[in-house]
Amino acid sequence: MLRPQRNEFRRLLATAALGLLAVTACANNSSTTTTTSGVIKIGILSDCAGDFGSFYNDDIGGALSVLAAHYGGKATGSLPKDGMTGAKIAGKDIQIVGFGCSDSTANKAIEETRRLVEQLGADILIGPLSGDEGIAVANYAKTNQPNKTFLNGISGAQEATLKVQAPNFFRFNPDGAQWSAGLGSYAYNKLGWRTAAVIGDDYAFPYTSLAGFIAEFCAIGGNVTKRVWPPLGTTDFSSFVAQLPTNVDGTFVGIGGAGLITFLKQYQQANGAISSKHFMGNLFWIDPQLLTAIGTPLVGAVAASGIAADDTSAQTKAYVQELSVYPATQKDAASVFTLGYWSAMTALGMALTSVNGDISGNQKALQAALAKIVIDGPYGKISLDSNRQAIADNWVTQVTPPPAGSNVPGLKTILQIPKVDQTFGGFFSSSTPNLDRSNPPCAKKTPPPWVGNEVPVNFG
Amino acid sequence: MLVLFLAGAPSVFDSFTLSQILTKALWLGIAAASLIFLSSYGGMISLGQTGIYAVAGFTMANLVHAAGGRNLGWDPWAATAAGIAVATLFGVLCGAIASRSYGIYFLMITLAISVIVFYFFAQVTTLSGYGGIRSVTPPAVIGNPVINPLPLYYAALVASVLVYVGIRYLARTPFGLALQGIRDDPARMQALGFNVSLHRALAFGVGAFIASIAGILSVWYTTQVSPGGINLAQTINILVIAVIGGLYRLEGAWVGAAVFSTIDNYSRLWMPNVGDWLGPDRFETVIGVIFLVIVLASPGGLVGIWESVWARRNRAGRGPTESSGMPAAEEVDGVVDHPAAV
Repeated sequence: MLRPQRNEFRRLLATAALGLLAVTACANNSSTTTTTSGVIKIGILSDCAGDFGSFYNDDIGGALSVLAAHYGGKATGSLPKDGMTGAKIAGKDIQIVGFGCSDSTANKAIEETRRLVEQLGADILIGPLSGDEGIAVANYAKTNQPNKTFLNGISGAQEATLKVQAPNFFRFNPDGAQWSAGLGSYAYNKLGWRTAAVIGDDYAFPYTSLAGFIAEFCAIGGNVTKRVWPPLGTTDFSSFVAQLPTNVDGTFVGIGGAGLITFLKQYQQANGAISSKHFMGNLFWIDPQLLTAIGTPLVGAVAASGIAADDTSAQTKAYVQELSVYPATQKDAASVFTLGYWSAMTALGMALTSVNGDISGNQKALQAALAKIVIDGPYGKISLDSNRQAIADNWVTQVTPPPAGSNVPGLKTILQIPKVDQTFGGFFSSSTPNLDRSNPPCAKKTPPPWVGNEVPVNFG
Repeated sequence: MLVLFLAGAPSVFDSFTLSQILTKALWLGIAAASLIFLSSYGGMISLGQTGIYAVAGFTMANLVHAAGGRNLGWDPWAATAAGIAVATLFGVLCGAIASRSYGIYFLMITLAISVIVFYFFAQVTTLSGYGGIRSVTPPAVIGNPVINPLPLYYAALVASVLVYVGIRYLARTPFGLALQGIRDDPARMQALGFNVSLHRALAFGVGAFIASIAGILSVWYTTQVSPGGINLAQTINILVIAVIGGLYRLEGAWVGAAVFSTIDNYSRLWMPNVGDWLGPDRFETVIGVIFLVIVLASPGGLVGIWESVWARRNRAGRGPTESSGMPAAEEVDGVVDHPAAV
């Protein structure tokens, strides 16, 4: 009784496997991976889950808006994730092969990158969003896909460009440290801090972001006495709030995404209202989405990023106008997430135009063109250094009280930090230790070149 | 026949499908097989398999040349052996702690193992940190699986066959038979003089050994290892794979893994955008619905569905029997339906 049944069972299993294989084979045939001449395939990788999942449409929207504004792209739905068709650059059809949906982990980012590049046949990838993802994708680009081109989305870990140095990975956004440029000097010289504590999520981006503050603050003569690192995804910060010393002149907060809102609430529950003279934050504090969620507790405090949110120059207006195809993304124009993906697609469009859409020869001509691109961005020019890492202006910004009838605070840009480079004038190099919980050490050195050369600004 | 077909699969599929669907299904299948071994033969549903395979993966990744971690530069094979040994030892230790617990308590202890391992590697930056260890050197024979996925595919296939045959063999040994006796009635086995806790702890060690093979293959497969790949979601994924395939059928491990990795990949292509409700980024929703349907329709998973259909057909051929109406728990190679063990 048992024997025939077992055989039949095995036959069934084999049939099932055959069926499954046939299905995957069919599916595979439907998505050809060869590059047809006349078509340039682009994949866009962002996060649709995890701490930064809420920026998914801002990211994709930033990139696709460029195609709509300059290259004839037509949105196929009201949301960026619905896709875009019809764009042409230098006579070549631009096909968006798909959107990668990661969750700020390196594992998922690589899985999604491989799906876009290897399965859907993307010639060029724009992404990813988060620090560790960027390091993983840069490694993948260098080791596994030297003949394809990768433009970073908005990930900002220093290591991705300074250490990995993949010749085919281009980052047109500053890294986390560059986005903190100007704050160490502001804390020391304007707010009179001599000692500080720092707190940030325990992964590559905050390591970089806080390193920018630590390097500058310590180079001038300040001392960072405590570094606290809650794991990314922490939902209860009470034990970390308790670790922050109260006998320091100030605290620098580098917690990002959804965690920042919880942290600030719990900090106030434990220590009372936030004093704007003793608190300072990185670029997350002035992101439109997060600022709306946080509300007024941060009024008066100072943060920095690559964005001058109150800039009303023609250049900025043109950028905001470019995003009009997606109204929700346009509302978040002054977000580094939107700007990062916009910059990548803008640079790609310029480079593809300059090589006449030629991606043959393992894309070497395209990559050479990309290395020389200078973007006339909404908040200043962005060029690349020899590691294909952005050199750009940084902006120190103060949170202002909400305008009448609103509960969302405003932003006032107070300082321009010109031409911030990744090395901080030699502070960081390919031979300095990877940034982590204890690196960089707090040391008095020659301050970065912009210290003392900040340009006060007033956009009215 | 199935194995022969899979051996020939590389001539049918392109390298992406071979790598991202089939190889992934094979190593996920081994991880799920370690769970199914414990549940079907030992009556232990463990959520600790992800933690255990992570120990193997991280140990190996720390010992070889890699970006991040200890980067000790060991020979990859020696590091692999060390990874499997450490994870197996870790499994026996966890088994010793968990073996006196049953049901929901066993589930919670093993879940705690996975969570502890996740936080350990996410927080101990000298061994990993949140970003994990990248560019892990595999043995020369495996090479770079992104450039040439064939060697890793065959390695995963051979490992799967060995695991399958090994578990089947073990089930017939006195140890395996005693384990099944313990699964069915621990009190009676205790009365017969068997050391129930020791048996369960050792079985957990065997499960850990199997899981550690999956852990090694997973690192070769992704060429990196990070806590993001062993988080709570992955712990649940392994359970979902086992349940989709059939929690009490060894074959179910690979059937479930193949279905899982196929849906994981292709749902992103096929899924239409319906506002914010449905879209390619709603993969978990799809898996969740399939999971619900399978659990409702057949507690024995996909393999259970096959079997009950087959049993019905046979009965129909034989004419009405006394037990018509309820499908009987058919014995297949010593594995029985044992929902009571849950």
